[in-house]
Amino acid sequence: MKKPLIYILLIAGGLIFAYPFLWMISATFKPEVEIGSIGLWSSNFTMRSYAAVFQKIPIGRAFLNSIFVSACVTFSVILFGSIVGYALSRLRFFGRDFLFGLILFTMVIPFQITLIPMYILMVKFGWVDSYMALIVPGMISAFGILLFRQFFMDIPQDLIDAAKIDGCNDLEILFRIIYPLSRPVIITVGIVSFMGSWNDVLWPLIVIRLQQLMTLPQMVTIFAVGGQADGQLGAQLAAATLLAVPIVLVYAFFQRYFIESMATTGLKN
Amino acid sequence: MKSAQLKTRGDKTGYLMSLPYVLYFSLFIGFPLLFSFFLVFHKWNIVMPMQWIGLRNFYRLFQDIQFFISIRNTLVFLVIHIPLQITIALLLAILLNQKIKFKGFFRALYFLPVIVSGVVITILWQQLYAYETGLLNLLLTKLGLSKIPWLIDSGWAMPSIAIMATWKNVGLYIVLFLVGLQGIPRYLYEAAEIDGARPVQQFFHITLPALNSTMVLVVILSTIGGFSLFIEPFVMTGGGPMNSTLSAMLYIYNQAFYFGHMGYAATLGFFFAFIILLVVLLQKKFVERKD
Amino acid sequence: MTRIEATITFILLLGVVCVSCEKKRTAPTVAEQGAVRLTYWCASNQSEIDLAAELVKKWNGSHPKIQVTLQPIPASQSSEEALLAAIAGKTTPDICANMWPGAMDDFTSSGGLVQLDQFPDFFDYLTERMPTELLESFRAPDGHYYQIPWKTNPIMIMYNKRLFREAGIQRLPRTYSEYLAAAKAITKELNGDGRADQWMGYQDIRPIWWQRFFDFYTHYIAASGGQTLFDSTDICFENEASVQVFRFFQEIYRQGYFPRTTFQGDNFLAEKFATIITGPWNITHVEKFRKPGFEYDIFPVPVPDDYRGPVYTYGDHKNISIFSTTRHPAAAWEFARYLVSEEADLRLLELCSQIPLRKNLTGNSLYRQYFSENPMMRKFAEQAIYTRGVDGSSVLKEIFDAISQEYEACAIYGKRTPETAVANTAKRARVIIEWSRP
Repeated sequence: MKKPLIYILLIAGGLIFAYPFLWMISATFKPEVEIGSIGLWSSNFTMRSYAAVFQKIPIGRAFLNSIFVSACVTFSVILFGSIVGYALSRLRFFGRDFLFGLILFTMVIPFQITLIPMYILMVKFGWVDSYMALIVPGMISAFGILLFRQFFMDIPQDLIDAAKIDGCNDLEILFRIIYPLSRPVIITVGIVSFMGSWNDVLWPLIVIRLQQLMTLPQMVTIFAVGGQADGQLGAQLAAATLLAVPIVLVYAFFQRYFIESMATTGLKN
Repeated sequence: MKSAQLKTRGDKTGYLMSLPYVLYFSLFIGFPLLFSFFLVFHKWNIVMPMQWIGLRNFYRLFQDIQFFISIRNTLVFLVIHIPLQITIALLLAILLNQKIKFKGFFRALYFLPVIVSGVVITILWQQLYAYETGLLNLLLTKLGLSKIPWLIDSGWAMPSIAIMATWKNVGLYIVLFLVGLQGIPRYLYEAAEIDGARPVQQFFHITLPALNSTMVLVVILSTIGGFSLFIEPFVMTGGGPMNSTLSAMLYIYNQAFYFGHMGYAATLGFFFAFIILLVVLLQKKFVERKD
Repeated sequence: MTRIEATITFILLLGVVCVSCEKKRTAPTVAEQGAVRLTYWCASNQSEIDLAAELVKKWNGSHPKIQVTLQPIPASQSSEEALLAAIAGKTTPDICANMWPGAMDDFTSSGGLVQLDQFPDFFDYLTERMPTELLESFRAPDGHYYQIPWKTNPIMIMYNKRLFREAGIQRLPRTYSEYLAAAKAITKELNGDGRADQWMGYQDIRPIWWQRFFDFYTHYIAASGGQTLFDSTDICFENEASVQVFRFFQEIYRQGYFPRTTFQGDNFLAEKFATIITGPWNITHVEKFRKPGFEYDIFPVPVPDDYRGPVYTYGDHKNISIFSTTRHPAAAWEFARYLVSEEADLRLLELCSQIPLRKNLTGNSLYRQYFSENPMMRKFAEQAIYTRGVDGSSVLKEIFDAISQEYEACAIYGKRTPETAVANTAKRARVIIEWSRP
């Protein structure tokens, strides 16, 4: 295939993926009447749309909520995923393989079945409209356990034996010896988990009704679908942009890790 | 032997370390599954006490035309979305796999929509698809073509959503295909070249078979993702026009959380989950080939 | 586990626990120095909060024995959900002034509300304020009253005077035929692309159930002379009025008087639409955002050609209720009476631009100055006593959803005749009611 043609196609593709975002960002700075234009430039740049968003909804609070929830979930998934992954990969006990099969099985269950009973559970625990409902159901991920187990299986037994001789118990082995060697898998699990938690909107829509506990995607959804934006397009797009910015920033820095995490995810599946 | 001794000591610790998962499973997977099954035979709207109604939810399900329409819509979505996604992802992956510069840049660019929340994508595309003022129609009119009723015609609405979903997710599959492509040894192509095979033939006889497992993965991931289609119709169309974008998840959500029919929604959920499992198994059977 | 990791985990868990405890709020009602304390929830929009704050302050000043604490309803996806959650969790206030009649069934079936007719002066006080027949429409199916009708936002049509003038419309349309004729004169294309650019009006065509309050439901109430969807036993909308409303809108979309598309932004102000079906809240919005030279006024929704009598409309009522968790129902009723007194009603008009459900508003000397300063509100006020709300049925949303489906198929896309559409809707409504029976 001719090189120039390849570049042309790739650039065309790039434009298709990038231009809508660029347009969206520029639209949030345009005055309302000019939003319909295709071009990116306007002579009347204004911050009015953003002002409207900040005025109408506590978006800063939602942002903090999202950070808090996603951080807790990610931390917990890594912690418990590594513990259980270690047990499954390096320890022998009765029922180990059954447990592993069970974990595989849960990955096949579509969440559509468990969604409603999980909600009812939240009601019964009194966790509706609380951070517990957002964090606890996401605390352990079968996928995380799988990745850790896979990775841990390749750790040379001598390292572990040496540590045991030194008198370490298993948890100490995990955290002192294995963690330092596990940066790739920790980052992978961390990124996938953080992204999933940050972008999740269906679950918060179901369990959170109080505005002060809403997560960022949830708040932006309600703002866009409900009437609060007063029909102002700029405000809706501004809210969407604010939702996109944090993760794009993280992506810009960790981009290589992101892509590679998703790739390894796919392979392991 | 010393190491055997060291290994068998793991029993108690093994249980302790697995405990978090066992607790989690019982609480958030085991219990919900059982409770879901239990709920199927009841009528409940949370505020009032539960009522046993036997198989009535099933009678209702089989008379529920809207539910079957929602399943049909979801399948329509998949039928458009998956081939489109595979074609574009494969094409771009092959292009990226050539000897060119800036691979990393393009790859990162194509991947961008994947990481951004579906909510952002939906709000953005609502503006692209707007009939009178939307960007796409503006572009079309500038090119002298007529406007397309993207979201207001029942024949166009679901395909429009499928296109948007493809745009969002194709980056991930480009990456997956790239990984698969990079795993194909060069010498296979070189040998074929020597034998006089044309690029098209090389594609069908070397590339595609080698990508088989990736292909299966892509199809299954897309399918499972596609069955959870919710936020796009929720924000953009409310299920219309004429119920053409009412996805199964949206319908179940409405039944449970707008109308308060918990027992019935649980029944729908079960039924839908079975359909998903069925489709995925069928796909695995047909797409996967034993070499 | 190293100490650092353990500490971090501990702190995080602690944080989670603390934060989740934060949501519990208990309002003290125990007597302090002999005073009774009441909690009062108002709607969470700013003007109503301002109103409530002012009224509460006045009340507290003159009623040392009954002290009221104000809290806006927790902002949420909908205030009905917040209230239902409060009922379920027994965290309800003593009294709330943002009760939507449509959710009454949900509220009362869980035993959350106090029967108001137990207070001996309930009827006298309220019938002095409002017409008896309007009060009757808020009676619950079990014969009792659980809500004090408070305020309404009557739905009427706001129109662009200049566009009407330029189209040569002399008299404001009263019947469907007059309306359609006006629509024909107004809808035109302006920029030579063969498609209309100026329309008579606009409604969001997505089948979202509450949109029907503006098109189908309001016009149905008007066409049927004040009927709602249910009477005391069954659905009652399978009638000629519904068919006429469906036919009316089908004609509008067929002729393109309303665009069959979705618009974003306020195009009434942009003068693309000559009319908008709306309520008094829009006056504030229009005043805030309009261009100079934009003239507008109000007229009632149209009725079928053969209709005689006053024009009714949908009222989007919000009412006041007392919750059964209250320890001082009599005191709460005292406060409630104050909330619907003449002075409070005046402040409702002045601060929130919403209409109290009070008869003879425009004739009452107390309100004369307000209405002379706000002539447009006068029209809404006159309409206010001719409003109807929604039935308090627990399957209301589902029935509206069914109506939306048929409305979309018939009126917007012209794929069904009005008769079929109404018959289908009635059939679906009956199925829905059947399924919801125990």
